Amino acid sequence: MRRLLVHQPPTVNCLWRETTMAALRTRVGCLLQGFFSSSKIPRSSFDIRFDGCVTQVRFKGGPATPRFRHPVWHVRKERAHYPENLTAENKEFIRETISQDFGPPIVAHGVKTYDSPLKNIEKIEPVQWFPGIRRTSTIAKKIGIQPLWLNDGTRVMTTLLQIVDNHVIKYNPPDQVIPLRRRHKVIPKKVLGKFGALIVGAESADPQEFTKNYCGLFRESGLPPKRKLARFLISPEAVLPSGTPLNAMHYRVGDYIDATGFTIQRGFQGVMKRWGFKGQPATHGQTKTHRRPGSIGGGAGHRVWPGKKMPGHMGGRHRTLRALKILRINTEYNVLYVTGQNIPGQINSYIYVHDSLSHHRWVKDAKDAWPLPTYIPTETEVPENLYASDVHPFDAPSITYEIVDTPVVRTGAKIAKAKGSKK
Amino acid sequence: MWHSLSRIFTMSVLVNLVNTATSCSTVLWRGFHTSPACHRLQKLSRLRVVDNSELGKQAMLEGKPPRIIQVYNKNGIGTTGDIVLCAIKGLKKKGVIVGVKAQQPVLLPRTDSNNVVLIEDNGTPLGTRIVVPVPSCLRTILKKKTHAKGADYTKVLSIATRFV
Amino acid sequence: MAFYVSRLSLGLELRRLGCKTMRCSGVDCRSSSSTSTTLAPRSLADDGKTDKLGRREKKNLMMSESVDKPDLNLRFKYPEMFPEPFMIWRNPVKEKLERKDMLARRNCISIPEFYVGSVLRVNLSNIHQPDKVSSFVGICIERKETGLRASITLRNVIDNLGVEIKLELYDPRLLKIEVLRLERRLDPHLRYLRDAPPEYSTFPLDMKPDINRSDEVPLNRIKVKLNPRPWTENWHKIEYKGIDESIDDLITNKWKARRELLRKPWEKYDLMKTYRATLPEEEMEEILTEIKDDVEEHDRKHSRRQS
Repeated sequence: MRRLLVHQPPTVNCLWRETTMAALRTRVGCLLQGFFSSSKIPRSSFDIRFDGCVTQVRFKGGPATPRFRHPVWHVRKERAHYPENLTAENKEFIRETISQDFGPPIVAHGVKTYDSPLKNIEKIEPVQWFPGIRRTSTIAKKIGIQPLWLNDGTRVMTTLLQIVDNHVIKYNPPDQVIPLRRRHKVIPKKVLGKFGALIVGAESADPQEFTKNYCGLFRESGLPPKRKLARFLISPEAVLPSGTPLNAMHYRVGDYIDATGFTIQRGFQGVMKRWGFKGQPATHGQTKTHRRPGSIGGGAGHRVWPGKKMPGHMGGRHRTLRALKILRINTEYNVLYVTGQNIPGQINSYIYVHDSLSHHRWVKDAKDAWPLPTYIPTETEVPENLYASDVHPFDAPSITYEIVDTPVVRTGAKIAKAKGSKK
Repeated sequence: MWHSLSRIFTMSVLVNLVNTATSCSTVLWRGFHTSPACHRLQKLSRLRVVDNSELGKQAMLEGKPPRIIQVYNKNGIGTTGDIVLCAIKGLKKKGVIVGVKAQQPVLLPRTDSNNVVLIEDNGTPLGTRIVVPVPSCLRTILKKKTHAKGADYTKVLSIATRFV
Repeated sequence: MAFYVSRLSLGLELRRLGCKTMRCSGVDCRSSSSTSTTLAPRSLADDGKTDKLGRREKKNLMMSESVDKPDLNLRFKYPEMFPEPFMIWRNPVKEKLERKDMLARRNCISIPEFYVGSVLRVNLSNIHQPDKVSSFVGICIERKETGLRASITLRNVIDNLGVEIKLELYDPRLLKIEVLRLERRLDPHLRYLRDAPPEYSTFPLDMKPDINRSDEVPLNRIKVKLNPRPWTENWHKIEYKGIDESIDDLITNKWKARRELLRKPWEKYDLMKTYRATLPEEEMEEILTEIKDDVEEHDRKHSRRQS
């Protein structure tokens, strides 16, 4: 007992030594093993000396799972905002320079922007529709949810998508399109050569917010830098010149759209919330098992199959809701009123609005085609609110139903009626 | 225990006799609390008979309101206009639900008691009058449920006194 | 619009920085879940001295502030015009569009001033009736939600059966809303009438409107006696001003002790809770200046129709 105390100072972790003994033996050799077993020298110093070269291999997993990372040639957007201590004169100078390039700051269609001097945009010519043509999508902001009533009195919840200050930035022809790298997705080759990529930006912002490199992306188009950039695959026929504004008139009431968004972050969640498992009973002898998944497999495989529903991070994924009908368009604020209150993403987050690719909803005939390549403004004034044919406008009188003469149903309760029942 | 229970029971009958079929809450009042109020109409829920049939009146007077023993729909939870099978005074009678306590959609009435009108298998009501107002949406619902060869549930509408 | 956005964002920035922001005085600490109740005039009525609708506050405002500011007491008249103060769900453009729609609807039908406790008659088109029209008379026991989703619940006892109907104020199926008795009650909602004797919520279906035309809305200080248990909700847990003290005889001693434990007297001093549950006064003024003209015109039109 006394010996043991002498040879094992309190700093040494006995357990650790036992478990790594085998590794030590193989690495250090028999000589050292002799030293260990003889237990003549104090071990503390010895162990510490060997700490550096003994590595634990127990917890090392397989190769790291491939994570999606943006390509290295993507420019950095945010910059560090350190205090610059600019004088009032310098600030004024910067403001003037910005307004020289992009015009004075204004609020147009409910969005803060710059009064861009881009006046000489190329004139857009309408394009003939053909099957399979794909035009550009837009970037919208989910601004809220409100009800609309149809003409028969039913209430429909709608999501308001505001198309915020969209401009075409650049066009990459099909041979220059580099597909996004996705982990599990194989992009078919025939798609690659077929579609060009149109880069669209939303919400002009102060260039001081971003890095120099990011602002450089917009130099060719002559636009102020945009808060949000997106790339949409389009047919080369439906190309738009850079600087073209896109607004809510790009769509028509009654059209169907797909909305893509980034779902709300929920954090690390258990299986009941994440996958809707049932859990276990609250009582009846349950020990520490109420919200657990239960068995995760078994049988001959003796393994957990890939794709097993397990606890983990929930939300924060790109999801698309398909075939949503546009019930109303506000042309003044560029707002689409779209059916459904479950469009992915928080309120005030960005949503991509595509023409619907749902099988029953895509355009199949030239007479149903949307404006191609986009809406071309004309002299005639557009009303502020456009309603789909089945929607009841708010400034219309109340709904009244027509009295229809229905044939009298034979009831057979004539005695009952005679005994004094009245309507 | 049994003694006190029986006393409570007789009391409830007395209360019953005093205000006959005025409001269900007084009729069913017990001195002890069993479970939180559940507004779902499922099997073994109690109902209040609101027509003037002898069977229904007697059952309510005795303090033995009918229980649901079957709801004839897909999900087993009854709402306005659903047909149910009731156990009443040792008999099996069908009934039409004409008022529910549960939360209702906009513009549909919600009542303070779960009301039922007793009918025969062919849809003929047992009573000649419904003593409380019934929701007007029953007109549409019962008409939809009536088929040419099945029971004629619209007979219930003809004995209603007031629609809301 | 530019003005509106800039003012709102300015207000938000100010609030983020914790600068001077006046909050409206209507704070209901108990019902934190339904923030819309903060707009109900209840809190003004709590103060025994100001029986009239915020008369004292109005005087102070008139004395201290300049003439241009809108009368903040109008917020009790149009509670659904003010958004819920949840910052993550708010957007100035959406709120503005919603308000426009509400005013457009108010041009078509008159939505009069009423409060929880007022008796209303509602005419609506009903597809189930043979003449496609129906009407309902009842006391407003609840006023919920804001914006176009604003809804009320009417309750009446017809043929000894309590009947309730929930209506959406901006539903185009409504043909007419008429106030038969204009008064306020002590509580933000009167759901406890469900567990009260029927005489408290019985109103004849052919009731005639009796409104004394004066500026102040009368406050009804009636105390309701409840039926014995079981109840639909635990009325003893929260101190309702409109429930009679005889409620103590209906509950057990154990429940009384539990009620003492559940009380939260410190909540009325919780400034952060008040801050989160209310709109700042500047925003209210902005909204009021925006809707003022339309609303006044609506009132004028409505009064002309009645006279």
